[in-house]
Amino acid sequence: MAVTSRAVLVALAGLLPVAVLPAPVTVLVWAVVVAVLCAVDVALAASPREVAVSRDVPRAVRLGQATRSSLTLRAVGDRRVRGLVRDAWPPSALPGGDAPTGARTPRHRVDVPPGESRTVTTPLVPTRRGDLPGDRVTLRTVGPLGLAGRQVSLTVPARLRVLPEFASRRHLPSRLARLRELDGRAAVQVRGAGTEFDSLREYVDGDDVRSIDWRATARRQEVVVRTWRPERDRHVLLVVDTSRTSAARVLDATRLEASVEAALLLGVLAAHAGDRVELLAYDRRVRARVADTHQSRVLPGLAEALAGVQPELVETDWAGLVTQVRSRLSRRALVVLLTSLDPAAVEQGLLEVVGQLTRRHQVVLASVADPELEELRTARRTVEEVFDAAAAERALLERAAVGLRLRQRGVEVVEALPDELAPRLADTYLALKAAGRL
Amino acid sequence: MSAPPAPAATPGTPAAGAPLRPGEVLGDGTTGRTRAVGRWRRLRPWLVVAAVLVLGVLVLLLPAPPSSTTPGAPDNAGAGGARALAQVLERRGVEVEYVRTTGAAEAAAARGGTVLVVGDVWLLPEQVERLADLDNDLVLVDAGWALSLVAPELTAGGDVSPRGVRTAACDDPDAVAAGTVSAAGSVEDTSGAATVCFPPAGGPATEGAYVVLEQDGRRLTALSDLRPLTNDAIVDEGNASLALRVLGRHDHLVWYVPSLDDAGAARPDDGGASLTDLVPWVRPVTLWLLLVLAVVVLWRARRLGPVVAEPLPVVVRSAEATRGRGRLYRRGRAHGHAAAALRAGTATRTAHRLGLPRSTPAPALVDAVARASGRPSDHVEQLLYGPPPTDDAGLQRLADDLHHLESEVHRP
Repeated sequence: MAVTSRAVLVALAGLLPVAVLPAPVTVLVWAVVVAVLCAVDVALAASPREVAVSRDVPRAVRLGQATRSSLTLRAVGDRRVRGLVRDAWPPSALPGGDAPTGARTPRHRVDVPPGESRTVTTPLVPTRRGDLPGDRVTLRTVGPLGLAGRQVSLTVPARLRVLPEFASRRHLPSRLARLRELDGRAAVQVRGAGTEFDSLREYVDGDDVRSIDWRATARRQEVVVRTWRPERDRHVLLVVDTSRTSAARVLDATRLEASVEAALLLGVLAAHAGDRVELLAYDRRVRARVADTHQSRVLPGLAEALAGVQPELVETDWAGLVTQVRSRLSRRALVVLLTSLDPAAVEQGLLEVVGQLTRRHQVVLASVADPELEELRTARRTVEEVFDAAAAERALLERAAVGLRLRQRGVEVVEALPDELAPRLADTYLALKAAGRL
Repeated sequence: MSAPPAPAATPGTPAAGAPLRPGEVLGDGTTGRTRAVGRWRRLRPWLVVAAVLVLGVLVLLLPAPPSSTTPGAPDNAGAGGARALAQVLERRGVEVEYVRTTGAAEAAAARGGTVLVVGDVWLLPEQVERLADLDNDLVLVDAGWALSLVAPELTAGGDVSPRGVRTAACDDPDAVAAGTVSAAGSVEDTSGAATVCFPPAGGPATEGAYVVLEQDGRRLTALSDLRPLTNDAIVDEGNASLALRVLGRHDHLVWYVPSLDDAGAARPDDGGASLTDLVPWVRPVTLWLLLVLAVVVLWRARRLGPVVAEPLPVVVRSAEATRGRGRLYRRGRAHGHAAAALRAGTATRTAHRLGLPRSTPAPALVDAVARASGRPSDHVEQLLYGPPPTDDAGLQRLADDLHHLESEVHRP
């Protein structure tokens, strides 16, 4: 049972009889009047258990994209359903849900005649990636007087999958343009292990004379050059590290968010370049995987798989990861490790096993750099800051040393600020492709 | 009413045969009966606790004797009470009526008999006057001030000798029958009209612990001390004899022990004013406000559904470990370590800027830096490879010097 603010007004109205007849018995009588009115209202209210409730949300939505949850109420009883309904969602699903105070679930006033149905919509703007489960639907029906009513909270299954934002897609057009430039280049310097013969075309001024195909020129009446293009159908395996180092926050978001953005951009770019993209999210076990799919389905597949990936507070099992990678790759591939260049974690795990990967594959390690370290290093006003600067200096030196040792083992290391990691990784990919090192 | 959280979203039986569409949920699978059972199950432990509490309170209350702690009260079984006397009187056929207010005393006195007043501390002059206006025999115990209002010729005596055994020394039959009593204090008869008994040792003949005065056809008896009547001392000397004879004169005894609650109490018929009488609407308005408060509490107490919890990820600032290391340096006063880190950083960056390989030996680096910055090479060597600083000031200076050196090094 629940009473409304109107019941309070009725109780307040008791001042009138009390003023006319100031005696305790007057109040007692008024209390009985209020109680009886409320009881009658509850008895006349429609049962909230005679309302069929269904919830409709889009299956998936991109992070930060506005959407809505529609709640349909159908009165199956023979009474008119009047009252309030609350379609509860986790705070991060609501507009303004990332405010420190959280957000209040909007409540809707409904009036459903018997046998009919009404729909109320709750606006949602998810601010966190992952699967958002809809919470309970609370239905409070009030009687004809609007004084009191009945209430029930129903579990109505609903789930909204929040896909990664893919903010790095704004870098995609420029990288695609550069990818196209790689195609059809006649210069010899692009020729290498990873390039293949594309076609013959007429010589134009500026072409390298070394690329003239004399045999073809002899057959025809004009000078003909050979053109090359980067090899297609290479394997690209994106490995997203979801261990404890990915939980660290750099600027506003965790390292994992930057890794996800970088993985999406590189995945889409590689798919456009005709490569076969696979994904593995791993810490001590596989958290998500995407197998080789058709080019058009790479982005949805990656976004879907990465939607539910969250940082886990465990140490990465690098040996297990290498086993996974080797079991999934039969031939030479580009293995992109989206992890952290954390000296302790790398030295105790990755360095020992990275040789097994570099022997067969081209390995790229992408890590988010922390601008705060640089700030700490340069601030030297007080003694405390000098000590912090020394610590930052030491950390940067260790990172540099670890990066150097990885490079010595043939790993390409990309370190960039969170916003720049995705484009820098894409550039590295394009450079490797241009150099035919895939 | 509140529904228990549904264990599962199993749709209930569709009411009125309405078939459910796919995705629709109807009710939470409970009925009025299951909810009542659930509520009973939830409440049961609390009911048990409440029952145990009530039982405990009852057990605590039961052995408590129906006894008060009011001195001189006929229901007080303690040392200062007078239950023994009251019970003996009742056994002898005297009906003892215990009252705490003047109004009740007046009402009881209307039936005749003796009126006993124990103490006058809580009495107001008006109340004493009302008592004096009674036709009944009056016995005033330990009430010197009230006595002087009832009979102006009798006042509290000046005797301050300790309580002791006194002999009657008069011809009042009750006093003579008692012989001796143990009492303190005295009442002084200034007119000589009263019978004065039990004078204090060595005191004047006009003072005594027990004074009887015939006044307007009634008998006024004053006893300066309550103690002879108490349970503690009733069996001493002739206390019992005196008390029984004085109080058992009539078969109805109004035993009045004035109370603080009665101060200012009005005669039932004079329409006197208490606070609630003066402001008649205070009580109903207070009750009404309580009613409104109760409804407001009911209104606000029921939430529209439970609070939604959301698991939040663990988030640690990335530079937290570095700051921690800085604090460790500071707490360990590791000036040497800190200086080594700062020097290594500067050396690495300047070497990189000058295009030297990482493996450049120290003398070569010092030469190159000296050339690039235009500083003497021993100065540069002191800065990059000198002895570590030993205090905060030295470290601070080194940090500043390294910063300046770095800003002076340009590509050759």
